[in-house]
Amino acid sequence: MKTKIQVSDLKVHYGNIQALNGISFDVYENEILGIIGPAQSGKTTLLKVINRTLEFAQGTTVEGSVQLDGVDIYSIRDVHGLRRRIGMVLPLPVGLPLSIYDNVAFAPRTAGMRKKAELDEIVERCLQQAALWDEVKDRLDSLGTKLSGGQQQRLTIARALSHQPEILCLDEFSIAVDPITTMRIEDVLKTLKDEMTILLVTNLVQQAKRLANRTAFMLNGDLIEIDDTDVIFSDNPASQSTFDYITGNFG
Amino acid sequence: MKRSELIFQSIALITLAVAFILFWNFSKGVSFVENGTLFDATVTDSYSVLQENLNRMIPILLGAILFSVAIAFYLEEYLARTSWKYQIIARQIAILASIPSLLYGILGTYFFVFKTEFGSFFTHALTFVLLVLPITIQSTQRAIRGVDISVREAAYALGAKRRHVIVHHVFPHAFSTIMAGIFIAISRTLAISALIIVVYVWTEHTPQSGDPFHIPGSVIVLLLLSLLSSVLSSFLEAKTNWS
Ligand SMILES: Nc1ncnc2c1ncn2[C@@H]1O[C@H](COP(=O)(O)OP(=O)(O)OP(=O)(O)O)[C@@H](O)[C@H]1O
Ligand SMILES: [Mg+2]
Repeated sequence: MKTKIQVSDLKVHYGNIQALNGISFDVYENEILGIIGPAQSGKTTLLKVINRTLEFAQGTTVEGSVQLDGVDIYSIRDVHGLRRRIGMVLPLPVGLPLSIYDNVAFAPRTAGMRKKAELDEIVERCLQQAALWDEVKDRLDSLGTKLSGGQQQRLTIARALSHQPEILCLDEFSIAVDPITTMRIEDVLKTLKDEMTILLVTNLVQQAKRLANRTAFMLNGDLIEIDDTDVIFSDNPASQSTFDYITGNFG
Repeated sequence: MKRSELIFQSIALITLAVAFILFWNFSKGVSFVENGTLFDATVTDSYSVLQENLNRMIPILLGAILFSVAIAFYLEEYLARTSWKYQIIARQIAILASIPSLLYGILGTYFFVFKTEFGSFFTHALTFVLLVLPITIQSTQRAIRGVDISVREAAYALGAKRRHVIVHHVFPHAFSTIMAGIFIAISRTLAISALIIVVYVWTEHTPQSGDPFHIPGSVIVLLLLSLLSSVLSSFLEAKTNWS
């Protein structure tokens, strides 16, 4: 199995608050890695380090290293290019004040794509993949922010796929999505796995169980354990706190 | 459509219409004065010169507004809050902004009315530019900072460069608040223009009607417009809070 991302002794501080206490693990190519853990455990922070958007918060420090295909991401000069290699879906849809079409075409355009036919093709494919195409194909010109919460979330998924990322990070994507749509997106993720590596942060442990090849359990900035999903969800994972969290006897 | 939106849009329309009429009349300069519709027949030649000079402020003010929006974007998007450039510029602007607009009024009347030999076009323009600049820069800065960090993060996460993020995301999100600040600046400018005209009329000119405290019609219009501008501004401010 090829290693796609290698995280080594990663420490992150927000000012005086330590959010990650030196965690190390590998992510394999074309796997779905589920990341579970209670609130404040550092899951979102981890994703923000990987696509280097942590830099927009004030006063953060990052120690240790994250390697993407063997290259330290902090040594990459073209940070915009790096971010295009990673698709990011945030917990709540962030309304970009553009039409549905322009939302999806935004990233390809900023990367220099101009041909209408190519953009049309990308927009349709990404909206299909995000299970949104049928609902919006007749009104691609209306504002993305006018869609329902669940539709907006699927729009952000389409957007994250629009720059053909190698890695797709999803941060609790189903918070604002109804269960049926969640299932449809989960099916999409299963097929997307063939094309990309997926990091699935989720507060629904069953979602990790359904989708992930391996699952990591995080707690208060520590990586408690990472193993095959079958092992994590078995009766005897390596750590008692993992077992407690999954069985709902936590805290 | 919400009723509040309806009210908001009608006020915007009325303001635009009145501003257009006023601008149109101003641009016709002398005939406006002679017609005596807004001004009285009691005006003199030097009065129309004053009027002319105030009219010439319009393009300068528009330029100053655009300039301040640009400055604010430069400060917020291109300079680190801790850099010495940011510190110096921000401090100067804070000082200018803390000057009460009454002082600009006094300065304005001084240059426009009493010191006519010193009151070159340059000093006139400077007074208004100094009035507008800090207000719009600071309000635009606030508007930019008010754009939630998640918007920026989401746009950058798509691999966007800074200029794309500014043009397509920060600016549209900040637009209403920026306009609110611009209308505050316009409101103050109109009020001060009104003040200058009143002082001028009371000191330089004894109306034939014998009323020593005569107020020309244009002043009323300016004050009404000023009021409308500030109402419009608060509506725009409220609009950003709804969305
Ligand atoms: N912008 C920030 N400024 C300061 N501290 C922050 C910031 N973002 C996160 N933190 C802190 O970092 C720690 C980890 O937060 P993080 O958001 O990564 O956790 P999480 O596992 O994603 O939690 P949740 O499940 O609630 O989303 C928390 O203690 C949090 O308070
Ligand atoms: Mg989180």
